[in-house]
Amino acid sequence: MNLPPFVLHQPLTIDEAVATFAQHPGEADWLAGGTDLLPNYKWRLNAKPHVISLHRVEGLRDLTPTHIGAMVTLRELEGSAELQARLPVIPATARQVASVLLRASGTLGGNLMLENRCFYFNQSEHWRRSWEPCMKAEGDRCHVVPQQELCYATFSSDMAGTLCALDATAQLLGPQAGREVPLQELYLFDGIRRHARTPGELLIGVRLPECAPTWRTGYRKLRLRGSWDFPELGVAISIQIVDGALSRLRIVLNALEQAPRSLDSVTKPYVGGPLSDQAIEELAAASFERARPYRNTSFPPHYRRKMVPVFVRDLLRHLRDS
Amino acid sequence: MPQSQPSFPLRLNINGDEHALLIRPYATLLDVLRDQLHLTGTKRGCDLGTCGCCTVQVEGVAVLSCLTLAAQVAGRQVTTIEGMANGDGLHPVQEAFASCGGSQCGFCTPGFIMAVSAFLESCPDPTDEQVHEALGGNLCRCTGYIKIYEAVHQAAKVLREGGVRQPLDVDHRHLIGELPPATRTDPRTHDLARLQQLHPEGKG
Ligand SMILES: Cc1cc2nc3c(=O)[nH]c(=O)nc-3n(C[C@H](O)[C@H](O)[C@H](O)COP(=O)(O)OP(=O)(O)OC[C@H]3O[C@@H](n4cnc5c(N)ncnc54)[C@H](O)[C@@H]3O)c2cc1C
Ligand code: SF4
Repeated sequence: MNLPPFVLHQPLTIDEAVATFAQHPGEADWLAGGTDLLPNYKWRLNAKPHVISLHRVEGLRDLTPTHIGAMVTLRELEGSAELQARLPVIPATARQVASVLLRASGTLGGNLMLENRCFYFNQSEHWRRSWEPCMKAEGDRCHVVPQQELCYATFSSDMAGTLCALDATAQLLGPQAGREVPLQELYLFDGIRRHARTPGELLIGVRLPECAPTWRTGYRKLRLRGSWDFPELGVAISIQIVDGALSRLRIVLNALEQAPRSLDSVTKPYVGGPLSDQAIEELAAASFERARPYRNTSFPPHYRRKMVPVFVRDLLRHLRDS
Repeated sequence: MPQSQPSFPLRLNINGDEHALLIRPYATLLDVLRDQLHLTGTKRGCDLGTCGCCTVQVEGVAVLSCLTLAAQVAGRQVTTIEGMANGDGLHPVQEAFASCGGSQCGFCTPGFIMAVSAFLESCPDPTDEQVHEALGGNLCRCTGYIKIYEAVHQAAKVLREGGVRQPLDVDHRHLIGELPPATRTDPRTHDLARLQQLHPEGKG
């Protein structure tokens, strides 16, 4: 399978990269590890005529417990002794992404900006054209929720769930200015637009709160095979217990919808109280109520939904008792 | 579509040899290895990152050559399966795959050898669980994996004990001879003739 022809740009600095992108509005994609972009290009999924490689760009590879550059590979996250000591949930989540081979090239930036996935979208050009392509590809309607307004393609990044639970901030640089936004707010519940980003904004990295290592944070992933499958459900939870009471509780459901969903309205009443067995059961039940998977991945939605309380209960107990 | 970008010159270091090449900007490392350098030991499987058949090493790290642009490895040391044997001496991982029956049809074998040898560098005495994890990106449809796991443990032991390389005792090259005269026809219409024209090195 050949890649479609494109012009390859290999800038050396962040500014040069952003300026290059700005010269090709609507016609360029960033290339990091390529483990998501290149399969999509091979399948002729919205391939662009200009590709801007981030490989030679300096300043995107910092790796500390408070700042991770976009070009840090998942393999580096897995192997970081400093993260292992201070924020072990990050290496533990990275280790669950794809396979060893993909993690050697795949980056944090690429993972956080991963293209949304759907059974009707991630197919060869031949497959798509043999039926009716959907509106995320060449068509004009959705086959998952039949209508012509909104795409429900699933956001399947493992790292995004964990980093949203850790209150990470995305650092972006566009042609006009740089800015920081809570990572959670970067994502849109729209499988085509996907991000609240101006075109050409580059993700420079993520910033993590100084106090994040004092929280207990975990991630559970549901997938078909243990080797390289995308998540069918990801649950990331971060808690802090001070004097027997929850001073922090964040539950993020991931890989069910077009973006990670933080269940803040569900968790808020429990902050300040104890994480009792009863509270855990109530939180598991409320998470189930809030879960909205769509029928566009390998597992049926009812099964993915049923696994939500199982993971929430298991992870909350584990974090409380650890 | 883009104003087509011309091929550009690129220096690649493959198995210790410097190659000055003209490459298409959108050529993958796999395209260049197989179609320009005729290093066909690296296999084209799914071409989408799922099967591991195209695994090579870049600076000792196992990566998928089907999802790596050739331009991105300029100036870096690339090792392919052709770079593993030392003259007639097989690499201990190759030797272990042969002697344990870790290879049947052989299509996935180069990818496994490249993944395993990179893995054993960083994990010389692996547990079964570590082997499972390390080989999660390589698919084999013949062996059922058991023989492959045995080969990994055998190779690990040999490497820990100093990695004695075994002489190559089988030369398969004579098996790939000339095409029978009746089929030595027009490469435009005959698949095998076309393949031999594209890969003259395959004739041995
Ligand atoms: C077989 C297979 C299994 C996989 N399994 C998983 C899995 O289990 N979990 C999972 O999370 N992922 C999985 N992936 C997806 C992918 O391998 C990883 O998510 C990887 O981390 C993507 O990173 P990358 O650097 O390769 O991204 P790329 O492919 O380079 O980029 C991905 C997207 O992000 C954009 N992008 C990249 N960097 C930036 C940046 N700095 N700023 C703005 N945009 C940017 C690109 O334009 C592109 O749209 C799998 C992929 C394959 C092929
Ligand atoms: S959710 Fe609908 S529009 Fe979106 S990719 Fe799937 S079928 Fe296409």
